[in-house]
Amino acid sequence: MKKKLLSILLAAAMVFGISICAVAEEGVTDTEIHIGQWGPQTGPAAAWGSVARGTDAYFKMINDEGGINGRKLVLHMFDDGYNPAKTMAGVKELQEGKGMFAWVSGVGTATGLAVRDYLMEKKIPWVGPAAGSQVWITPPSKYLFGVYPLYFIEAKALCNYGATKLGKKKFAIVYQNDDYGKNGLAGAQEELGKLGMKLVETVPVEVADTDMKPHIMKLKQSEADVVLLWVTPSHAVRLVGTAAAMQFAPQWMSTSTCSDFPFMNTISKGLWTNVIAASFGELPDSPHPLMQKYKKAHEKYAAKEERWGVFFTAGIGFVEPAVEALKRCGKDLTRERFVKELEGMKNFKGILGKVSFKPFNEKDPSSRQGTNEVFLIQCTETSGSKQLTEWTKYE
Amino acid sequence: MLDFIQMIASGIAVGSSYALMGLAMVIIYKTSEVPNFAQGEMALISVFFAFMLLGHYGVPGYIAFPATLVFAAVLGFLLEFTVLRRAKNPNVLGMIVITIGLEMILLGLVSWKFGADHKDMPFPISPYESFAMGKIFVSTLEVLTLFVALIMMVTLFLFFRYSKLGMAVKATQQNKTAARLMGIRTNRIMMLTWGISSVVGCVAGLLLTPVSMEPFMMWDPMLKGFASAVLGGMTSLPGAVFGAYILGIIENLFGGYVSIEFKSVVAFVIIVLVLCVKPSGLFARHYVKKV
Repeated sequence: MKKKLLSILLAAAMVFGISICAVAEEGVTDTEIHIGQWGPQTGPAAAWGSVARGTDAYFKMINDEGGINGRKLVLHMFDDGYNPAKTMAGVKELQEGKGMFAWVSGVGTATGLAVRDYLMEKKIPWVGPAAGSQVWITPPSKYLFGVYPLYFIEAKALCNYGATKLGKKKFAIVYQNDDYGKNGLAGAQEELGKLGMKLVETVPVEVADTDMKPHIMKLKQSEADVVLLWVTPSHAVRLVGTAAAMQFAPQWMSTSTCSDFPFMNTISKGLWTNVIAASFGELPDSPHPLMQKYKKAHEKYAAKEERWGVFFTAGIGFVEPAVEALKRCGKDLTRERFVKELEGMKNFKGILGKVSFKPFNEKDPSSRQGTNEVFLIQCTETSGSKQLTEWTKYE
Repeated sequence: MLDFIQMIASGIAVGSSYALMGLAMVIIYKTSEVPNFAQGEMALISVFFAFMLLGHYGVPGYIAFPATLVFAAVLGFLLEFTVLRRAKNPNVLGMIVITIGLEMILLGLVSWKFGADHKDMPFPISPYESFAMGKIFVSTLEVLTLFVALIMMVTLFLFFRYSKLGMAVKATQQNKTAARLMGIRTNRIMMLTWGISSVVGCVAGLLLTPVSMEPFMMWDPMLKGFASAVLGGMTSLPGAVFGAYILGIIENLFGGYVSIEFKSVVAFVIIVLVLCVKPSGLFARHYVKKV
């Protein structure tokens, strides 16, 4: 009898013990919150490596200010070289080895796609992928929150400005032949369709292409007066350069991925001047108080050779909503609570456009797409940015 | 018609840089029967050496460029002497694997030392200026590349045809044992060919830098050079050059008239076709060993 009682007590203790364990969420201790992030520090997309370094400096600043509700943020960042296979391996290793509470940012569409299903099946929140791709929200997933305005939206904003403000009539697009490029293509087609116009030429570029002459010839034949560039920075520079050599000079327009003007104007030897680009975040030289604050953090925490550029600040902007939600969770931090706080976010304003989410609805992509606000900028001769429009929202 | 001429002109222009890479690959293949996959990255290291001299130390161009060529030659000698020659009982497959390994090591070295982002090479000629002949455009850089490619080809041709050293290289290629019996130090000849090839590759690399300069810049030109060399026959220098121009022109015509989407694949389709139909290439006389 005694034995039986003992075993019941033991069993009860075990269940109780386990339930105590379950209260403490994975990746959260009394003093720390563990957050994961990937980003290319080497390889073809290394220029975007500063996104992760921006997040790192931001977290250090928060920790020095006392952390979030008494807990410090611990960022586990790894270099995936923009290689989806490495992203998968790295995410698994960190998630199953150390246990992340959530994932933030993460550069690349293909890299993110490689781990999306894994994270979603495990119900691990992932906030602010560093790519404005539509795949994150078609269909929306409960634990995936998009912050980067869609490339689709950027294309619409650019076409609208070109047609209504600049009075241009013939639009063409050069797009990377993948999801990223096709998002831009779709946006341009939709917006121009609304305005009763059509793209006069659509030219696909393969990532492996290096000779851009055939592409420029096609554009030239179409006599386009605006050309949208939905390609990588190096292809964009090659295209603009080849066009200059072939004396073809349309108004170039480009996505936010090529909006780092000092960088673009250096590698294009000045040809980026006058290019119009979409921007999803406050500019590095903005007088915005938050930008001033982050600039100080950059001086204090970033490496000496780290440039205070668009991608570095983007690394801060993409994770601001996640940090805000962590703050709102209070001391009692669980993943479910975190998701709830994100869903309750209305017009949160950091250095990106206003961010709002809604309770999860699998039929409503906007429940998981935080912002669709962008503004347009133009590269000046001194590689500065001239702001052409205010923050504008597109649907 | 105008478009057609422009496409031909563009094809010849892009073909010149393929030709230089093709030449570099053929030189090594001729003596060792190994396609050197490290060719691109050997050029890469030399090009970044030039970048370091010009950009960081402010060395004037007339010193920096010749210094780079010397560096490239020494690099070629060194790689042959320290790596390739050390291979025990080398067979072709083993050597190919070694060159692929070298390729990765050199690429890693450049990425580590200089970072993976784009650089702005202080090159004396802008790639964005062009000559206009009526409505046909050819950029200044392309004209330069064309001339350099032709000069290189003629020099190499004369070297192999008329110089004693060139003859020794040819002899080594045809029969190593016999060459050694005739008093040719075949090891040194191998080293020499690696040096020459490295210099030719380096010139190709330097001419590509004004357009794009980053650690991955040489991979595609190397593959295209390789394709040209296969097309022309791996052992024929003029073959590689003609192969390169044919490839450049086909690519441009294909992009213009058929599909721009599959333009970059054409080169590899051509390799497969040539290997199926005429494995020795269009211009090479196949060397058949009598048993």
